Amino acid sequence: MSRAWERRQFLKTAAAGTAFLALGGALVRLAADDLTRDARAETRADGKKRLPPGQRVIEKLKPMGGDEGSGDVKDFRLRVHGLVKNPFELDYAALLKLPQVEQKVDVHCVTGWSMLDGLWKGVTVALLAEKAGIKSEARHVIFEAAHGYTANVLLKEALAPQAMVTYRLNGKPFARKHGAPVRGLVPDLYFWKSAKWLTGIRFVKNDEPGYWETRGYNNHADPWKEERYA
Amino acid sequence: MHEGPAGASSDGAAPVSEPKAKEDAAPQKASAASRLNPSFTTLVRKRWRGWLRSIHRDVGYLAVGLTVIYAVSGLAINHLQDWDPNFTGFQREYTIAPIGADVPDAEAVARVREALHLGVPRDVYRAGDELHLTYDGRTVVVYGDSGQVTDQGQSPRFFLRVANWLHYNRGKKAWTYIADGYAVLLLYLAISGLFMIKGKLGLRWRGLLLAGLGAGIPTAYVLLSGGPNANERKTADASAVAPSAGDDGDDNEPIERPAPRATTPGPATDTPGDDGDDDEPIERPPVRTPPR
Repeated sequence: MSRAWERRQFLKTAAAGTAFLALGGALVRLAADDLTRDARAETRADGKKRLPPGQRVIEKLKPMGGDEGSGDVKDFRLRVHGLVKNPFELDYAALLKLPQVEQKVDVHCVTGWSMLDGLWKGVTVALLAEKAGIKSEARHVIFEAAHGYTANVLLKEALAPQAMVTYRLNGKPFARKHGAPVRGLVPDLYFWKSAKWLTGIRFVKNDEPGYWETRGYNNHADPWKEERYA
Repeated sequence: MHEGPAGASSDGAAPVSEPKAKEDAAPQKASAASRLNPSFTTLVRKRWRGWLRSIHRDVGYLAVGLTVIYAVSGLAINHLQDWDPNFTGFQREYTIAPIGADVPDAEAVARVREALHLGVPRDVYRAGDELHLTYDGRTVVVYGDSGQVTDQGQSPRFFLRVANWLHYNRGKKAWTYIADGYAVLLLYLAISGLFMIKGKLGLRWRGLLLAGLGAGIPTAYVLLSGGPNANERKTADASAVAPSAGDDGDDNEPIERPAPRATTPGPATDTPGDDGDDDEPIERPPVRTPPR
């Protein structure tokens, strides 16, 4: 048996083995993904598909990294400021005293997963905006988070009823890796817009692309248009 | 070596050949000298491949540590959606007897500690019906009204937490320059690798084939996937076929879209109050350096 043949035989076997494993893995994954199949068949009240293109359904939030904030409720402060008549700051206890909402919404991560029907509890951004008295020239909202992270959202979308400052998911507090104690929630945009370890909400006139938006991700981030990248 | 006519010096003629012999010896000396002390260009011509290999070897040694960090961390963060590459965590649920709002803080903490066999917390916070007991790397949250308890914590993964931190360049400062230097070293390794071996195993055959394959994979992927603008084209095509409300498929139109309907419990995207003014300009300042 020649050396060249041995090498070729090895390469062929390795290639065949890799292809077999990859195809097998893909088939198993596809066959087991009932949640995604079911969600693809559903349509939302607004006529959009429930599952945006290129997404697959998972059952729990995935931690996607980021520079974590303290995670401690005692350290939590939320500044509502910018183009507002009455800027203010809330601690955790003050946040809990505001009128609360609890709503089921779907969230969609730009990396391709979606989590459906999460029950999120918190305070709407619209309520905070009303309390602060936003000025008429405000057009955008900047979600500010620990270590200088920011995410920009159009005012209209930030004031939507589903957009919240949230501290509880499915009746439980967030794990630190998911943004404890309080994170933003803008469910109709890719999930990076829902800033974890929230520290502020700033109303501005001119758009200010945030952390990921200045790193090649889309400035708007509509999952139904697959606005993933710039 | 110069060969004089045979017997030229043996015919009794004057020894004219001596100066000539000296002249003949000069190139020999020069040749020997150039062998002993060759010019720089000769050296480069003869030995560049050897030097390339030597430097490649040493740069390779130098790059091992950083390559391990970037490669292992790259594998880890490339699959963010499948696992947490930075932390191992836990979350447990318990139910204890409800704790009313009228129970004093110290008493409430004592009840929780007793029910769950917990030590002295580092910190205690109480707001609304929530009681938070903080320990190092662990938080116990008690919902007093229901008695439900969430006990959760996390600890950093050995090596990966630090490697990922470096890979993301979260620390900034000097690491930016170190990473730049490493990228330059990688470029050297890649390019010098092309020329280290000559002949059939070098760029003439195997090297060319494999280097072409290596360049062909990303090229084919970009061509087949449609590249960075694939999604924009797909969206434009979809809009052309079935425009959604308020979207005429014009990629130049503003990115604002109608706000959700207030009365719809699920996500919704249009509202009677929206003026449908799609001509509003996008105000976007020049990209600024992000704060981290």
